[in-house]
Amino acid sequence: MSALLAWLPFLQPMTALGNAWWLLMVPLVFGVAVVHRAVQDPNMDGYWARVLRLTVKANAVLGSLALAIYLFVYFVIPLLRAD
Amino acid sequence: MSHPAESVDGPLNWFPALMGWVLPGLGQVLLGHRQRGFRAMGGVLGLFLSGVLVGGVDCVDRREDALWFYAQAGAGPIAFAADWANSALLKTGKVGRLIPSPPSNPRLPPPQVTSFKTVTMSNEVGTLFCFTAGLMNVVVILDALRRPSATQGAWTA
Repeated sequence: MSALLAWLPFLQPMTALGNAWWLLMVPLVFGVAVVHRAVQDPNMDGYWARVLRLTVKANAVLGSLALAIYLFVYFVIPLLRAD
Repeated sequence: MSHPAESVDGPLNWFPALMGWVLPGLGQVLLGHRQRGFRAMGGVLGLFLSGVLVGGVDCVDRREDALWFYAQAGAGPIAFAADWANSALLKTGKVGRLIPSPPSNPRLPPPQVTSFKTVTMSNEVGTLFCFTAGLMNVVVILDALRRPSATQGAWTA
């Protein structure tokens, strides 16, 4: 708590994130979706629903890739023999 | 699916595209696509400010991270302002303090770096957010360059 109070926003990095930094993938993808849908969609009806759909889909794909790489590194690679 | 941005044989909107670099989304607003422009503006500025919030202004550095900065500069003057804040506030020690870092050449005096400089994931992710904001604004600028005006083509060339 005291570390958070000593934090200077925009000047100091947000170190309080710790090991949860990867969760920032969600706002990053949301920002990309907001811009992508703004320039790509023919009209702005149902804009936020499409932004949400793209955010969920992109995060699901990225999360699946991360899971596949995790499984490969921790379970498949140890099975490989060096000889 | 076809939409207006795909009409490639129309005139180019050079002025709105330039204004789109000065302030993300302003090109679309000038062309009469206000809602589209303000949403693009919110997205690009949101990404950039989130990056600086997470990583601090140190994640925008024209000299030390030039390759990252080339893309970050796509977000417009806000990237140069963040780089200025980094140089004028952090690197001079006006905010935080300067501490010696391990020298790359032992015969030279140790370089001074700000105590706010980190090599944590926060800095990396902040750099990535600002980088993405710059690239997405390039997309927005290109869209403004080609998008037909909703107000009788006043800005086309």
